[in-house]
Amino acid sequence: MSWWLVSFARRGPGRYLSHLDTARVVQRTFARARVPIALSQGMRPKPRLSLPLPLPVGAEGGDELAVVEVADGTPADAATLEALRAASPVGFEPFRIVDVGERRVRPQARAATYACVLDGDAGAVVAAVERYNTTKDAVRERVSPKGTRRLDLKEYAGSITATPGDGETRLEFTIRHRSDGSARPQELVDLIADWAQVEPTMRGLERLRVVWKDVPPAG
Amino acid sequence: MNESRPGFPGRSRDWVPDEVARLLARVARPGRYAGGEFNTRSKPGATPRIVLSYPDVYEIGVSNPALQILYSRINDATPAAAERSYCPWPDLADLMRVAGVPLWTLETFAPVPDCALWGFTLPHELCYTNVLEMLDLAGVPLHAAERDGEDPIVLGGGPAVANPWPLAPFFDAFFAGEVEDHVEALVVALGEESREGRLRALAAVPGVWAPGRSERPAQRQVFMGFSASEPVLRPVVPVLEAVHDRAVIEVMRGCTAGCRFCQAGMWYRPVRERPVEMVVASADRLLDETGCDEVSLLSLSSCDYSGVAEALTRIRGLRPGLRVSLPSLRIDSAAESLARFAAGQRGSLTLAPEAGTQALRDAINKGVDEQQFTEAVRATFEGGFTGLKLYFMIGLPGETDDDVLGIAGMAAEATRLAKEIGRGRARVSVSVSSYVPKAHTPFELEPFAGEETLRRRQQLVREATPRGVRVAFHDVAASVVEATLARGGPGSDRLVEEAWRRGARFDGWSERFDVRRWEEAAMVTGIVLGEPSPERASWRDAVDARLDTRFLDEELERSRAHERTDDCRDGTCAACGVCAGEVGMDLLA
Repeated sequence: MSWWLVSFARRGPGRYLSHLDTARVVQRTFARARVPIALSQGMRPKPRLSLPLPLPVGAEGGDELAVVEVADGTPADAATLEALRAASPVGFEPFRIVDVGERRVRPQARAATYACVLDGDAGAVVAAVERYNTTKDAVRERVSPKGTRRLDLKEYAGSITATPGDGETRLEFTIRHRSDGSARPQELVDLIADWAQVEPTMRGLERLRVVWKDVPPAG
Repeated sequence: MNESRPGFPGRSRDWVPDEVARLLARVARPGRYAGGEFNTRSKPGATPRIVLSYPDVYEIGVSNPALQILYSRINDATPAAAERSYCPWPDLADLMRVAGVPLWTLETFAPVPDCALWGFTLPHELCYTNVLEMLDLAGVPLHAAERDGEDPIVLGGGPAVANPWPLAPFFDAFFAGEVEDHVEALVVALGEESREGRLRALAAVPGVWAPGRSERPAQRQVFMGFSASEPVLRPVVPVLEAVHDRAVIEVMRGCTAGCRFCQAGMWYRPVRERPVEMVVASADRLLDETGCDEVSLLSLSSCDYSGVAEALTRIRGLRPGLRVSLPSLRIDSAAESLARFAAGQRGSLTLAPEAGTQALRDAINKGVDEQQFTEAVRATFEGGFTGLKLYFMIGLPGETDDDVLGIAGMAAEATRLAKEIGRGRARVSVSVSSYVPKAHTPFELEPFAGEETLRRRQQLVREATPRGVRVAFHDVAASVVEATLARGGPGSDRLVEEAWRRGARFDGWSERFDVRRWEEAAMVTGIVLGEPSPERASWRDAVDARLDTRFLDEELERSRAHERTDDCRDGTCAACGVCAGEVGMDLLA
């Protein structure tokens, strides 16, 4: 048994997968490539597979991570990677495998950088972004079945970069992940859209890069 | 700590067009509309381009076996390209209308109306308004008479073509029966230059009925190459959770058990079986192609497949931990079958006694007696299942209140056995639907029970069923609509169109069905909802199901006399009329 870190891109139609759907795609891709994923013990065995940083529905990711325990002595080499790529559906593209041995690793995200496009008056959006970048705090309420939580978005995302276009603005921001949680891209976009008085519907959300803790270097 | 590598270039056809992405950013479950499944085919530049549709939401339609067959055959065995499109949920449909974005296909995001042929599989009557919704969202004129050379030819297939009248004006043509032998001819017909030429060529293909063009009914086509042909080996495998998430092998087509209410049993005759060797080899290949960990042996009655025991044993040996399921169990053979494959099972199982008393079961030719029922229930719980669902119908011809109360009696017996064998862990539930008489069955001209009777009998079941048994009923109002359309004649299309114009969509979904839209449509058109029975079998003017009407009449008489008719695969021919010329049973030796 050995644990693999599988880096993959999720693009195009793959961006509309949920977290569970993405996990199912990983599992099925491995099965099609005849690389068996180890199963948990117990009455209802489950594949030993996790995606340490869920990607929101609608978001593309250029460098996502799956942690998989592989059952037999399959080598984490170029041939296996090619088999996985051949077995994967459009929109899901594994591009790197790292065998980290028998000890399970639990990668933790420290920060993730996102980009997206917000439609509407670009001037208003840029002004809202400037207001965000200069404000001391930006407290929002997060309502969930567990209750309401107040969080200061500035603690997680210090600044936003805005690039205006024709009736749209490209936003880029880095969200820090802390032990007490993190902000969501949609929460930042909602705030900017609210201040700019445009529809809070973002397009082309993409996670550009992730900074991990406890991930061995590739190769 | 290390920083991961940024952005990885996607493949060229990965990208979702901006106008689609804008819409998908605002709807629930956007993955329904984006494709990207395993085993999708890409044939850029191929002609003609054909779109295949199932008129319901993606999760229901994506696993449909008929579309999987057509998709594979067209893409892998003809020069044409087949793409798919399903019915958008109302949240997306509203946005598409506002934005002026036409319905697209999952493979290329190209507009559906640019195709040469748009084929719908029509599974049941309650999806008819979805057909109109999809035509409208694509910008294709609703009525075939209003279409011109720029519009695709709209072709309907599937079991609901048994009576095409309620949809006749919306389709250029219908195909009756099994299409496998005629896919190539349909593709060739699309090569004609003019729309008129294409329609003329299509109408000449056996099995095609073109409203207003065909001079005689279309004869239902039977694929006699079934046994010798491989099942679909590279099916589209959804990446979202769909209603059926397993590798499917069609082991047998047709069923001659002869249940008198069952349209599928009449429509898919005769029985044809695939060799066990082919079934096992196909299972092995399918597991590789799909990545599934469950294989389902599909047919109308898989326990009747002659090679079921050998196939189950050998398929289970293909992979450790592999699950094999039989989706359709007949109670008279269930105990034996369960003993073979159910050991160590979990979860629940459905058995379908259909009717509550022996007399009524004999009348509908459902070969189940009380002893077989008891043995099947015992085998279910002894095999490890912890849930048992019993499926019944009410409103069957000749039904009395005593027959209905018999449902509660059978539920009580099953509950007693659940307590005795399941030691408190086992649960029994009952599902009761309303019988709707269908075309080309012995009951095709029998009266529909009607709303009042059905509601009263639902109440009888509800009151008599033991406590602790969950009882679910099918919506009577939806059954009334279904009954109206199932035997609707020429002109019944007006009811469908008026209901759709009043907002009817997804009528098979209880949360979406609103009978008031249909009642208003009925008032406008003068069509009586749930009319007891039609004056004549107008569907025979459109479709010849190959069934001898004398057989149907005799079966009705035998039903009234509570006489059973044996399964013809046991050697007794009931002279249904289907076996003639090259068409006949094709059973394993």
